Amino acid sequence: MLKATIDAEIFRESIDAIAALVTECRLHTAEDQIRTRSVDTANVAMVSLELQSTAFNSFSATVGELGLDIAKLKNIIGMMGKGDALTLTLLDEERKLELSFGGYRYSISLLDVNTIRKDPNPPGIDLPGKAVVPGDALNNAIKAAAVISDKIALGIDPDAMTFYMEAEGDTDHIKLALGEDELVALNPVQARSLFSIDYLKDMGRVMARADEVEVYLGIDHPVRFVFDIADGNGRVEYLLAPRIEAD
Amino acid sequence: MRCAECKGKGLCGLERCPIMSRFYAQLPVRQSDRYQGSAPSVFVGSYGYPKVAGGPLMIDDADHPPDWVARGLAIDDIVGLRARTIRGAGEAKGLAGSIQEIALSSLPLDVEVRFTKPVSFDLRFDGTIAPVGLTGAIRKMDVLGNARVDRAVDRATSDTDLSATDACEVLTASGTDVYRITQLLTAGLLGSEKKRHVVPTRWAITAVDDTVSKQLKKKIARYPALSGIEVFSASLYGNHIVCVLVPGDWKFEMIEIWGRQSLWGGGSETIAVDGEGLTKSGYSPLAGAYYSARLAVAEYLESVRRSARVLVLRNVTGEYWAPLGTWVVREATRNAMRGAKTPCADLRQAIDLASRLIGFNHWQPHSRLIPELTTQKTLFDF
Repeated sequence: MLKATIDAEIFRESIDAIAALVTECRLHTAEDQIRTRSVDTANVAMVSLELQSTAFNSFSATVGELGLDIAKLKNIIGMMGKGDALTLTLLDEERKLELSFGGYRYSISLLDVNTIRKDPNPPGIDLPGKAVVPGDALNNAIKAAAVISDKIALGIDPDAMTFYMEAEGDTDHIKLALGEDELVALNPVQARSLFSIDYLKDMGRVMARADEVEVYLGIDHPVRFVFDIADGNGRVEYLLAPRIEAD
Repeated sequence: MRCAECKGKGLCGLERCPIMSRFYAQLPVRQSDRYQGSAPSVFVGSYGYPKVAGGPLMIDDADHPPDWVARGLAIDDIVGLRARTIRGAGEAKGLAGSIQEIALSSLPLDVEVRFTKPVSFDLRFDGTIAPVGLTGAIRKMDVLGNARVDRAVDRATSDTDLSATDACEVLTASGTDVYRITQLLTAGLLGSEKKRHVVPTRWAITAVDDTVSKQLKKKIARYPALSGIEVFSASLYGNHIVCVLVPGDWKFEMIEIWGRQSLWGGGSETIAVDGEGLTKSGYSPLAGAYYSARLAVAEYLESVRRSARVLVLRNVTGEYWAPLGTWVVREATRNAMRGAKTPCADLRQAIDLASRLIGFNHWQPHSRLIPELTTQKTLFDF
C-alpha cells in the first residue's frame, strides 16, 4: 500500500537521479521510506536512492515492491508545474500507480517486478580517499573533460592537498585541481582511478544540483558519489566501476 | 568532409560529383515514348522536396535485391539490368493513386504509360538506392490489373490512426520485409491520416532501416547476454563484412574502410567510424550503410534472443566499382549473420581473427569500442 503526497520538484529530482542510469527499477516501500537500488545493463554503474517519509507532505505505506517504468515517468513529470503537489496512490488490485497533480490524474500500469533485475548486492569495497566537492564544480569539470576525451581520471594528491580531475585526449590534456579552499572537506589519502565520461556525464547533470557531493576514491577502484536530495530527507548514492588500462 | 562520408550527395559544393560523373555513360536505346509491361516498384526522387517527382520503375524484374543475390547476379549484371530500367517521373501528388497501387501489390503489376517524349538514357548512381538508367516524364499512366495485397500490409495501410513508426513494428512482426515497408513508406501509405506523405525513396530506405532496428534494439536490451564471443564474415560485390559479437548490453560500432582503389577512397585509404549505445543522437556519418548493417545484426540478435556488443567492419575493395545502394551492405551483413560463426575464447583472439579475415590490422586504432571493452571493469569485479 502506498498513499503519499510530495512536492513535484522533489519527485522530479528523485526520478532524474534514477533515470541517469536505468530505464526501469524496483521501488521498495516501507512504513517510513521508499528506496531503490539498481545497476545499469552493463553492470558498470549503480544507483541507490532513499527518500524518507519526512520528504513527503503526507506519507502512509506498508512494505511492498513495485516495478516502475522510469522512462514513462519522466515523460509524465514533464507535465508537472513548479510547486504542484503530487499525490501517489498505489491501487493494489489493479497493479497501477495513480499520479494526480494540478487537476490531472494519471494512472500508469506498473511493470511486473519479476521482469526487472533483482536488487544488486553492493560490492564490499574500501575507498579510503574522500573529498567533499560542490556539485556544480564536479559537473563542470566532467563537461570540460568531455570535450577532449571519453575518459577522466579522478584522484587525490595528499602532498598538494588537492582533489583533482584529469583527462587526456589524443592531442590535448586538461587538469583541474581543487585545493582546500575550494573543497568542503578532504581526507588526504593517495587515490586515482580512471572513469568513462559517458556515465559520469549523466550522473554529473544530477549532481550539479547538490550543494555538496561526497566523493570516495581508491586506487584503480570504483568511485562512490553520495549526496542529499529533498533538503536532507533523501540520499542518493552512485557507484561507478573504473576503467583500467593495462600498460 | 571526405568522399567516403558524403557518397555523392554533393557536400563538396561541386555541381556534379566527380566520382559519380564517371558513371554517366551512353547507351543506345530504342527510342520509345510508351511502355507497356511490368512495374515492380515505385521510386520518388528527393530533388525539389517537398515538391517531389515520382513514378513507377518499369522493368521485367521483381526489383527485390535479395533475389539478385540469390540468383547469383554479378555487379555488371545488376548494373546492366538497372540500366534498362525506366524511371517514370511525374508530379508525385497527381500520380499518388497508381503509385500506391503498385507499392501495395506483392506481385509486380502491369502498367501502360505514355511519356511526353521518348525516354532518355541517364544512368544515375546513388549511395543509398539502386541505380536506374532511363527516365521519362509521364504524360498518362494506367495500372492494368489489380494489386495483390498481403493481409498485414492491408491492415497497416488502411489504419489511418496508426503512426508510421508503429506500422513498421506491426509489419515487421508479421514478417513483412524491409523492402516492402520501404515501398509503402515512399508511396505515402503509412502514418496517421494527416501525416501521410510521399517520401523520397532514398530517405525512406534509411528511415525504415533505422525505425525497425531501433525497435529491435529495445527488445534486445531485455535479453540475456550472448554466451561467448562470436565472429561472422561474408563478402558481397567487393564488400567484405566482419561482425564481432561480444557478450554484454547493446552497443554498436561500425568501421568502414575504403581501400585505395575503391570508389570513395579517393586514391588513399579512408577509414570512417561511428557507434552508439542504447540511444543514438544525430545522423551517422556513415550514412545509410550504418543503419542497414545495424538492422542485419539486430535481426540476428532478435532471432537468437540474446544481447551483445557488436563491432562491424566493412572493407570495400576496388571490385565494388559502382555504388549499388545500401541493400548491398544489408544483404552482405545478413549473409554474414546467416553463415557459420567462429567462437573465440577472448577478445584478443576475436580481434586477431577479424584482422586476418579483413587482411590487415590498422583499423584497430580507429575503434572506440575495443578500448572500452578491454579497460572498463564492472562493479562485480571488485
